[in-house]
Amino acid sequence: MIDLYSWPTPNGHKVHILLEETGLPYRVHAINIGEGDQFTPEFLKVSPNNKIPAIMDPDGPGGAPISVFESGAILIYLAEKTGRFLPVEARARIQTLEWLMFQMGGIGPMLGQTHHFLRYAPEPIPYAIDRYVSETKRLYGVLDRRLEGREFVAGDYSIADMAIFPWTRGHEGQNQKIDDFPNVKRWLAAIEARPAVQRGLAVLKDQRRTGPISASEREVMFGKTQYERR
Amino acid sequence: MIDLYSWPTPNGNKISIMLEEIGFPYQVHAVDIGEGDQFAPAFLKISPNGKIPAIVDSDGPGGAPVSVFESGAILMYLAEKSGRFLPASGAERIAVLEWLMFQVGGIGPMFGQANHFLVRAPERLPYAIERYVNEAARLWRVMDTRLSDHEYLAGAYSIADMAHFSWMRLHRGQGQKIADYPHVKRWLDAIYARPAVVRGLDVLRDLRTDYAAEDEKRDSVLKALHPTARQP
Repeated sequence: MIDLYSWPTPNGHKVHILLEETGLPYRVHAINIGEGDQFTPEFLKVSPNNKIPAIMDPDGPGGAPISVFESGAILIYLAEKTGRFLPVEARARIQTLEWLMFQMGGIGPMLGQTHHFLRYAPEPIPYAIDRYVSETKRLYGVLDRRLEGREFVAGDYSIADMAIFPWTRGHEGQNQKIDDFPNVKRWLAAIEARPAVQRGLAVLKDQRRTGPISASEREVMFGKTQYERR
Repeated sequence: MIDLYSWPTPNGNKISIMLEEIGFPYQVHAVDIGEGDQFAPAFLKISPNGKIPAIVDSDGPGGAPVSVFESGAILMYLAEKSGRFLPASGAERIAVLEWLMFQVGGIGPMFGQANHFLVRAPERLPYAIERYVNEAARLWRVMDTRLSDHEYLAGAYSIADMAHFSWMRLHRGQGQKIADYPHVKRWLDAIYARPAVVRGLDVLRDLRTDYAAEDEKRDSVLKALHPTARQP
C-alpha cells in the first residue's frame, strides 16, 4: 500500500488523480502546510525540500521500499510502475515529457507566483501582479494553441494532462478569462468529468481552508519559519 | 546530427554540456532572446512556449527527424538515446528524476525570479527581492545538505547534476555567498574540472556582453537593501 503525504493543493491533486486513475491502493497522511507539518524531521527524510506531495512505496524497485518527492518524479514513477499514462512509443513519450516539463517549469511556478501576489503578499505590488498575471495569460495561450485540434496535450490522456489540469482549474483566481481560451475550457471540462479525477480532487477536501489565510498560516508558508536551518 | 537552438543562459548551458558529455555531433543555432528571435514562427514550431533550448534530432525515432523543447525533456531524451547519465531502472533512476524535477520546478524558476528582481526589474521592489533571495538561500541549503553525504545529487554524476550546475555556478547572481555552502562548492569544483563541461559552457558565450553590467547592478541592489552585510 502506497503511503501518500499530501495536502489539497494543485501539486497534491496531480498525484491524487494519478493514484485514482491507476487504481493503486493508497493511504493518505495529511501534511498541513499551514501548520508547519512539512518541516518535521520525519517528513524531511522523505521530502528534503519540505514540499508536498511525497510518497512511500513499500513495493519499490527490486521489491524494496522507496520514497519519492517532487510531483513530476512521482508521476513518472507511478506511470512507469503501472505502464500507464506515459507512452513507451518514442514520439508520444517525448511529447508527454515535453508538456510535463512545461507544467513543472512554467505553469506551476508562474501560476504559483500569480496566486502569491494576488492573494498572499501582505500588500498589492502592481509590478509583480502585472508580471505574473501577464505570464500566466501567455502560458494559457500556449496551452490553448496546443489544444487546437487535440483532445489532450500529448496524444492520449497522460500524466502531462494530470499535471497541468489542477493548476488551470483555478483560472478565475489567476485573473484569467477562460472564454479567451476555448480549447483549454473544453479540455478542462473533459478532464473534470472523469470519475477518477473527481475522486482525486476529493482527497483531503475537508481540510481545505475556507476564507482568508490566517496570520500564523501566512507566517508558516511565507515568513521566516521556512528559512530556518534544519 | 543534432541542431541545437540556444543562447548562453543556464538552461541553454545544460544541453550544450550534455551534448559534449555524450559526444553527439551537433550544430549550434543562436536564438538571441534579447532580440526576439524566440518568437519567429519557425522557432515556435519546435518550441511552442517560445523558449530556448530546443533541439532537432535528424536521426530521431524510426530514423526520422524529431524536435524536443523543455530542457528537462531534452536531457531525458538525450540520456535515454545515449544510454548515459540516467539509469534505466531502479532506485537510482528515481533519485535522478527527483533531483531533475527539483531543478526544473524549483531552482530554475526561483533563481530566475531572484535574478529578475535583482537585475532586470525597472523598479526596486524590496518585498519581491527578499522573497526570492530568501527562497534561493533555502534551496541552496537543501542542495548543501544533500551534497554533504552524496558525492553527486543522485548516485553517479547524472543529468540531475548537469541541470543544476549551470545555475548553481552563478551564486553571486542569486545573492548567495558560496563560502556558506562548502558541499556545493566541492561539487561545483568537481564538475568544473570536467573537460566536457568547460566546452559546453563555451558554446555561444561570446554572444552575450551584459555579464559585467548585470554583476554591478545586482551588487548595488543588494548593498542598498543590506548596507551593513558582507557582499558576495
